This record gives sequence, structure tokens and C-alpha cells, in this order.
Amino acid sequence: MSSAAALVLSARGVVKTFVSGESKLEILHGVDLDLVAGERLALMGPSGAGKSTLLHVLGLLERPTAGSVTLEGTDAWSLGTEQRASLRNRHLGFVFQFYHLIAELDAVENVMLPAMIAQSRGEFASRKREHLAKARGLLEGFGLGARLKHRPTQLSGGERQRVALARALFLDPPILIADEPTGNLDRDTGEVVLELLFREQQRRQLSLLLVTHDERLAARCEHVLRMDAGRISNGRRDAR
Amino acid sequence: MYRIFLSWRFLRQRRTNLIGVFGIFLAVGALILILSIMTGFLEETRKSARGSLSDIILGVTPYSRNGLPRDPAPILAEIRRDERVAGAAAHLAWMCLLTRDDEWSLGVLTDSQRSQYAGIKLTGIDVADERGAAEFIESLERVDKQGERVVDVKNPFAPPPEYDADIGRPRDRIIVGERVMRAHSLARGDRVTLMTAVPDPRSDTGWSARKREFVVAGTFRSGENEIDLQRVYVDRTQVARFLAGVNEDQALPKDAIEYSEVLVKLADYERDARAVVADLSLRLTQARLIDEYCSIVTWEEFRGPLLGAIENERVLMGIMLSLILVVAGFTIFAILSMMVTEKRRDIGILTALGATPRGVLALFLWIGFWDALIGALAGALVGTWLAIEIDPIEFWLSETFGIQIFNREVYIFDSIPSVVTPIAVALIVLGAFVCTLLFAALPAWRAANLDPVEALRNE
Repeated sequence: MSSAAALVLSARGVVKTFVSGESKLEILHGVDLDLVAGERLALMGPSGAGKSTLLHVLGLLERPTAGSVTLEGTDAWSLGTEQRASLRNRHLGFVFQFYHLIAELDAVENVMLPAMIAQSRGEFASRKREHLAKARGLLEGFGLGARLKHRPTQLSGGERQRVALARALFLDPPILIADEPTGNLDRDTGEVVLELLFREQQRRQLSLLLVTHDERLAARCEHVLRMDAGRISNGRRDAR
Repeated sequence: MYRIFLSWRFLRQRRTNLIGVFGIFLAVGALILILSIMTGFLEETRKSARGSLSDIILGVTPYSRNGLPRDPAPILAEIRRDERVAGAAAHLAWMCLLTRDDEWSLGVLTDSQRSQYAGIKLTGIDVADERGAAEFIESLERVDKQGERVVDVKNPFAPPPEYDADIGRPRDRIIVGERVMRAHSLARGDRVTLMTAVPDPRSDTGWSARKREFVVAGTFRSGENEIDLQRVYVDRTQVARFLAGVNEDQALPKDAIEYSEVLVKLADYERDARAVVADLSLRLTQARLIDEYCSIVTWEEFRGPLLGAIENERVLMGIMLSLILVVAGFTIFAILSMMVTEKRRDIGILTALGATPRGVLALFLWIGFWDALIGALAGALVGTWLAIEIDPIEFWLSETFGIQIFNREVYIFDSIPSVVTPIAVALIVLGAFVCTLLFAALPAWRAANLDPVEALRNE
């Protein structure tokens, strides 16, 4: 395990219980997890093991029933809604299995969306040229130079996922959370997306938390955590 | 920044939103058009309700004067001392029957179908005081082909050229409403008889009958059907003599009734009416020129029940028509609710990218705002244009489709009265905004409270 000083994301004793009427269902049973700066960490496990729930808690989208999540030294779940949203906006980049692009926006606008959310109208307008250049640069770098003005429905699955990756990287967050990023793509297309994902992670020295079912994909990460029935079953294991 | 940008983009890309915009457009346009026409109708009715009434009407009870002066001179002098008063005139009004001594005119009295012509309001006036205090002089100049103008408007009670001076005792002159003229088939110079009864304590019955012939000097036209049908003017002192039962050239007895009301015209009615009524009440009471049985009211108070009914109608119409806005607002509610359901995933994405619940709430409120802005502005423009141009539009529609939409013979108006008041248009537009935003608030609140994780799972 790396030193505590290099930790960018850390979870301690995370418990998540869903209550439905009289019954309670505990999905996460006190999970501990550390993500160190610049590392690739894969999270594996069978369906229903609690991977997605843990990912949502770590991504500040779902409040844990107990435990804490520390992001860049801040106890994220002790913050107010607005501050937590700002933390999510600036420190976390998400790549989802189903791309999750906004259908009404073209590729460039989708990529700029995190900046639109982070900035006021005046601030965004004053930096619009800069944002446009950056978004175009990212998309051109991902081989989408001819697709800048295309809407998601006009793009293939692989192209959509590349746009989603560009969007996740747009505000240069230190952490990238990818949930089955190739789960909806064929093997070759998935490979192209993974190449880009790992290339950017390497180049930007991002911390990558990757949820996957794919052993081969997990093998490309430095560390693999296996989850089973709401617990990390293997501690921290070097994948290689 | 994203709230305005995305809301506009969502609005443009989702055609269903246009239904909401169209709903607001229709509601605002229809409201402006209908309320403008209603306001036009009501204002015309209000004008007709005022008729020839002066600004302030001071009414006295002629036969119970409690020692108050019977001569109107002191009260007129006291009223005219007020600088806000432009003119004042005393009237002596009494109900009479009018007839000619022929079968036709008597038939008017006996035929129930024509009973509306029988009762006549005899009004005694001082011509010199009328100008500036009431509309008598103007009504003399307004005579059309149904009537016969008096010989000299400045001296309207002068004998007409048709007057036969050799008929014995000289008759005093009478000016009749032009509808009275037509109803009794009168001509200038004809003689008519007025009959009435007055209280008389010396009589066994307590009443005495009065009957006198007058010579028609001409007609007047007030423009109000009721007045032109039921009013006649005679010199006030002659009316006093008629009611007192003395001849035209005899002196008035001391107990003769000389006036029953005083009409007061103000320089600025809107500004001074209420204050002048209060001041006159006080001053005239202190000067012992009126008592508690006298009334001083503005013309609006005089016509209070009618004006109240008109106002009620306007308010009720406004409330009923506002329901159109509620229906339009409900359309917005339905469309936005549908949109929130459709956009669950996008709401999740925005939250994952850092949007706050407040931001999501604002995003959907902005969509409502755009709906209201486009719909209300377009509706206001089209509604105002329709209201201004309603007459030629109605004419064109009637010509094109061969149906009469507005029957000008049914109403007293020559055109469809329509009054566009900017404040009403502004209030309708404001109402559309408030209504839309209120109806948008619920789906927006639901969007803001969506669980982002649930929303992201929405595939």
C-alpha cells in the first residue's frame, strides 16, 4: 500500500443499507478502500456483490449508511450538498457503461458540460474560446475531429464512449471512475476505448478506479480488489 | 450557466414543449381579446349609465323643507363659492302624464303596449345656468331628423314661429325629447297637456290635480333612449307655478316648491369629486341650506347599483377567463412532468457531473420560463392586434363566411367596442408567467429530488 500522503480517495468502514418497509438489506458491510495518486485500481466481483453501490458511494452520488469517504483530504459526506457537488465536479471524472451523453447536445457541447456546470454564465462566456479549443483538441485527439458537431444519436457506440471519456477529462480531475467502460462495446471497439483510457491515465497521472467483469481488463491495472457479498475479499492485491 | 443553455436546448429539441407554448399563446391571446371587448362593452354601458347626469347631484325633498329656503339662489351661491365647482344649476323635476287632445295621444295613455310613453319626467330648468352645469344646451344642438330644433338655442323657450298668439291665454313653451315627439306625432308649435297630482293638505284627499297646456318649442336629443322617451323641459319658475296651481303670469305663492335638485359640474371630477361632496355636505349643513333628508352624491354613487353590477361582471369575467390560464398552466405541468420522466437519465448525468438539486430545479423552471416568455409575448402581440382590429376582422369574417357575427342592430354600438388597456395586458402576461412557473414548480421540484443513482440506472 502506498503512503497515506499520496492517497486521493479513501473509504473507511462504508456500510450501505437499503430499507424497504420493514425489511433492511445491507449491501456493503464496512468496506475500506484506498486509491493512491496515479494508480489504476480495478474492482471486480460477481453481479450483486455491491461494486456499483460502492462506486456510487465513492463517486459521492449515494450517501453511505455509515462510514466515511475522504476525497483529497476532505470528508466528502460531511459537506453540504452544494460543496459536495462542486467537489464531484472538479475532482471526479465519470465514464459509464452506457455513455450517458445528453442527446440534445453535440459532441463538443457534451464535452464542455462539466465546465458549464462549474462556471457562471459570465465566467463561461469569457472563457468560451478556451473551452471550445480544449474540447475540440480532446475530441480530435480521440479521433473524433470529423464528429465535433454530431449529436450522440449520430455517433457509434465507440465514438460515444470516446466523447464520454473526453467529457470526464475536460476539467482535468485527479480521479477517473469508470464503470464497465467497455461493457456495451464489441471487443475491437472496446479495445480502442481502453487504449485511450489508459493512455490518458498514464499521461495525466490520474488515479483510475475501474469496475469491470473482464479479467483481462483488470489484469491491465496495477491493483485488483475483489468484492463478494458486500465485502472486499482479497484486501489489496497486485494484479501483476 | 448550464441551466439557461440546457433549458433552451431542451425546449427547442422537444416538440412537445411547443404544445405548452401554444397553450399559453392561446390563453393570453384569448384573454386579451375577450377582456378588451368586455372592457369596451362595459365602458360603453358605463357611459350610457352616466348619460346626462352631472358630476354631483344634490337631491332635496321638496315637500318637507323644514324651514330651509325654497328659493335655490342661496344654495347655488354657496356651491359656486367653491373654486373646484365649474357650474351649478337648480332643477325642479316632477312626474306627469303628457297627452294631446286627440285620439292617438290618448291611446298612448291607455294602450298597455305603449305604456312606456305615458309617464313623463317634467324638468324645470334655468337656461342661463344649464351651460356648464349639465348637457341641456348640447342636447338641443344634437337634434336629428326625428326631432325639430328649437328656434334659438341660446333662448330655447322663445315662442316658435308656428306659435299662434291668438289662442287666448299665452301658453308657456315646452321642449320635448325627440322620442316623445315621435310617439305623440308632435310638431313644433303643437299644444300638449301635462297632468299631474301634487300634495295638498287643504284637499280632502291630501292631493290636488294639476293640468296645463304647453306649446312645443322644439326637441332635444340626449342620446339616451330612456331620457329622450320620457323627459320634457320647461322653464323652472313656470314648473313651480304649474305645481303651485297659479297661472303663468301670476306671482309664486310663498310655499311654492321651486327646486328639487341641484346639479353640480366640477372642473376636475376624478381629482375633486369625493372632497367636494364632503365639503359641500358640511358647508351647506352649517349654512342651514340642507338638512339630513337631503342627499349629495356623485353620479357614480347615484348609479351605484348599476355600476356595481358592471364592475362585478368585469371581475367575474376576469376570474372565469383566468381559468384559461390555469388550463394552459396545467398543460405545462403535464408536459414538464412527462419531460422529467423522460429526462431522468439526463438528470442523473448532470448530478454526476456536479449539478446540484437547486440547479436541476432551476433548469426545469427555466423551461417553464421560456414557455411563458414565448407564449405570453406572442399571445400578447396577437391578442392586442386582434383586439385593436376586431371590427375589420369581424367585417371580413362576416363577408367571407356570409354570417353575421356582430349584429349592430341589437346593440346601441355601431362597431364592436374594444378597449385595450396596457395595464390589463401587462397583468395578463404577468399572470401567465406566475401561473406557468407555479405549474412548472412541481415537476421541477420532483426533478431536483430524483435519486441520481436511480436516474443513472434508468436505461
